Amino acid sequence: MTTTYKSIALRGVAAGAIAGVASALVQLLVTEIPIRAALAVEEAREPAGDGHGHAHGGEGELVSRGAQVVGGMLGVVVVGIAVGLVFATAYALSKRWFVDRTPFSRSTAFGLAVFGAVALLPWLKYPANPPAVGDPETVNHRTALYLGVVVAGLVIVWGASRLASRLTAQSQPVRVTAVLLAVVAAVAVVLLAFPAPPDTIPADMPVTVLWQFRLSSLAQLATLYVGIGVVFGLLVDPATRRAKADAPVAVG
Amino acid sequence: MTSPAAGLSAVRVPKWAFAVSLLGLIVTYLVLQENGLALGASSELLHEFFHDGRHALGVPCH
Repeated sequence: MTTTYKSIALRGVAAGAIAGVASALVQLLVTEIPIRAALAVEEAREPAGDGHGHAHGGEGELVSRGAQVVGGMLGVVVVGIAVGLVFATAYALSKRWFVDRTPFSRSTAFGLAVFGAVALLPWLKYPANPPAVGDPETVNHRTALYLGVVVAGLVIVWGASRLASRLTAQSQPVRVTAVLLAVVAAVAVVLLAFPAPPDTIPADMPVTVLWQFRLSSLAQLATLYVGIGVVFGLLVDPATRRAKADAPVAVG
Repeated sequence: MTSPAAGLSAVRVPKWAFAVSLLGLIVTYLVLQENGLALGASSELLHEFFHDGRHALGVPCH
């Protein structure tokens, strides 16, 4: 029964692990292709002598290339589990979030909102970059900006749920339109208020590799966050257990 | 059976749940974001091991 916090938290961990594995598979099969291409660009730079002591995969490295691929996938699974746990807690705490819906649609909508706030919004403002892009000198500055956008995104989601619950007296079309307008306006403010990405894209990085990487990264983020919402919804919804016999849970 | 959401909205969240969630956020930070702010030089190994995952999940990297 999903009536104690502990059982909900364990389902969050399971959902995070499953979505994390799916996302790690997307990484292995999709994202690693442009990463390899970007590393080749970086290696082509090495003889030029500008060794800032942070090359990937060359000799004398802390971690070999193979270990980076495995470690990267492992990292995605670990992040999935950690996020799944936080997701489950937020779900258990949310007294306003579509409380009239089924647990499955609540969880899926929650997953989509989290994806929008902590993945899509930062991706729009500070698009994902492959290796060989990015100055090590600015990494802390870029991290602060990135986390700022993540926090702003979460505040927008929280504000949207507050606004929606404030407007329950209105008809549904009025409520939905008002909340959507408010979200679009808030997103526009965040995109305009935060400064442009501090680093420029090096001229030797092919545009095709850059975009293949960015789209792969977005697909992987969607697999992780929307995946957590969908799998967690399947695990907590009593309707899933009743229908289990004729519809085995498929995740991919 | 009553409304499926009814049982869930009644879940009591204990105080230790916040500690568990904080742990989840710290783990996420260490895997994705730590670039020397918290752990100093030893973060390099962590960074390099999770390197591909960081790039793939779109967080700022060097």
